Amino acid sequence: MFKKKTDVHALIMEQIDDVKKCLVLFDGFMRAATTPGVNHETLCSLRDGVSEAENVADTSLRTMICSLNKSYYLPSTMESLIAIATSCDKIANKCESIANLIVIYKFQFTAESYKEFNKIYDIINKQFELLEEAISMLFSNMSQLQKDPSILDEIRALESEIDAIEMQLSERIFNMNAELAFKMQFFDLVRSLCDVSDIIEDIADKIQIMLISRKA
Amino acid sequence: MFIYLLLAAGLFMGWSLGTNDAANAFGTAVATRVVKYRTAIIIIAIMVVLGAAVAGHHNIGKLSSIATNNEVVASIDEVEAAVESDTLNDLRLKSALKAFIIFACSGITVFGMSYLKFPVSANQSITGAVIGWGLCYADYSSPEILKSNLTEILEFMSTWLINPLGAAMISFVLVFFVKKYIEKRLTSMQSYDRIVKFGYIVAGAFSAYSIGQNSSASVTAFYYDATGLGANILTDPRLTAIIGGVAIAIGVLTFSKRVMMTVGGSIAEISQVDGFVVIIASALTVVLMGELMGIPVSTSQSVVGAVVGAGLVNGVKSVNFGVFKRIAIAWVSSPTVAGILTYLVALATKSYFAA
Repeated sequence: MFKKKTDVHALIMEQIDDVKKCLVLFDGFMRAATTPGVNHETLCSLRDGVSEAENVADTSLRTMICSLNKSYYLPSTMESLIAIATSCDKIANKCESIANLIVIYKFQFTAESYKEFNKIYDIINKQFELLEEAISMLFSNMSQLQKDPSILDEIRALESEIDAIEMQLSERIFNMNAELAFKMQFFDLVRSLCDVSDIIEDIADKIQIMLISRKA
Repeated sequence: MFIYLLLAAGLFMGWSLGTNDAANAFGTAVATRVVKYRTAIIIIAIMVVLGAAVAGHHNIGKLSSIATNNEVVASIDEVEAAVESDTLNDLRLKSALKAFIIFACSGITVFGMSYLKFPVSANQSITGAVIGWGLCYADYSSPEILKSNLTEILEFMSTWLINPLGAAMISFVLVFFVKKYIEKRLTSMQSYDRIVKFGYIVAGAFSAYSIGQNSSASVTAFYYDATGLGANILTDPRLTAIIGGVAIAIGVLTFSKRVMMTVGGSIAEISQVDGFVVIIASALTVVLMGELMGIPVSTSQSVVGAVVGAGLVNGVKSVNFGVFKRIAIAWVSSPTVAGILTYLVALATKSYFAA
């Protein structure tokens, strides 16, 4: 009736840790990419690091999903956990995809965009830390998270900050004295980077739905 | 042989009860995939037979007594007279035919009302049919018989109130207790899921037990010979209940999936923890009603009462009292329609049975 217990908690945290490693490597890649006069080969090497980290995160996701079958969890919980883990994996996918685009485009960032870009990474990192804490609380202290879901509200508030920065940066991109193709590429990169924040916010929403459905 | 064929009517009623009542035990758990369908039906089948074997004979005795008072089952005087006049076989045939009519009338009622999309109770329809038969044969010139019949009808009708009210009270206490003392301990997702899974299995098993205790009598009580003189087909009350339980179990094992998925889906809106507490409260009420009153009650009534009781823990505003209108129709309509139909059949066949 009850199948053998597997430590899904440890496996999901391991997968999130792998996504975090990918995010850290991506952060390093982006800081290098926005540094004036950066070597293309250095960027390729950093991009490869992001790709490897993304592959590791993929493997962790598959292991976690397989382990759910052997767990005590209710089917609805399994579905929610798979949705959360798959969305976390999308963060790693997005990082790899942006890194690939920058390398393929051989994109040169403008000096004025550094500040905003750094701000975006910082906010994304902060969001991800909060997300990690929320997911951990789901397993260890769900009732506390049900009582006080402010951590999830904070993730959403940070996403709104990124939206505002995205808007400012997009306006500045299209006011630049540059070719439309460059502007479109730049805009595409900014939007893709901000998508990472959207994904994190989306996961926060999924957690909140999970909490509400468990409220007796 | 023909007499045993008539027993098939009761067994068929048991089979159909099994196909429907299984949903009350594991509907929510199976619909939400907390418990696998195959696991659920095996647990239900075992527990239904167990409930019938352990406690079903109490209801057999009571229902058989109601049937005797209402001329469905022959009284001791009639049996003794039949033994003396060597017409016991005729009496047995008539008793089995009466049981067949009771099941036919209640079956038609259940089918017709379900077709018209009214919620129905098979157990209550059967008891209603017995009373309908009795009303046709009652000796209205005798105040004693009239009083006895009226008391029986009132006792039967009182279950419409006592059953849901009892379930609501038990459910309120259980849900209040769970919220206050157990829910606080469910701090992690693992413990929550484990409790929910375990709770649904325990609640489903207990509910199946209560179905065995409550419904097995409805299926076979009219074939039971309380006189011990061979006036009916079955002579041992426990065996009579077990036969009813097996018929219900076969219904569960063969044809319950569709109803289980439909009913489970529609009542899955309540929270998971409240869900299994409500099933336990409802089953507990049915078991208590069986022990205290011995009348097979409507499991649907007790489920509704239990849901209301659970809702009241969160305040009066959280209960949708509008639902009572539809439920009240079901409480009154199934036994009443079955009673009227049986009364008319009894009237039409009186010349044969009274001879």
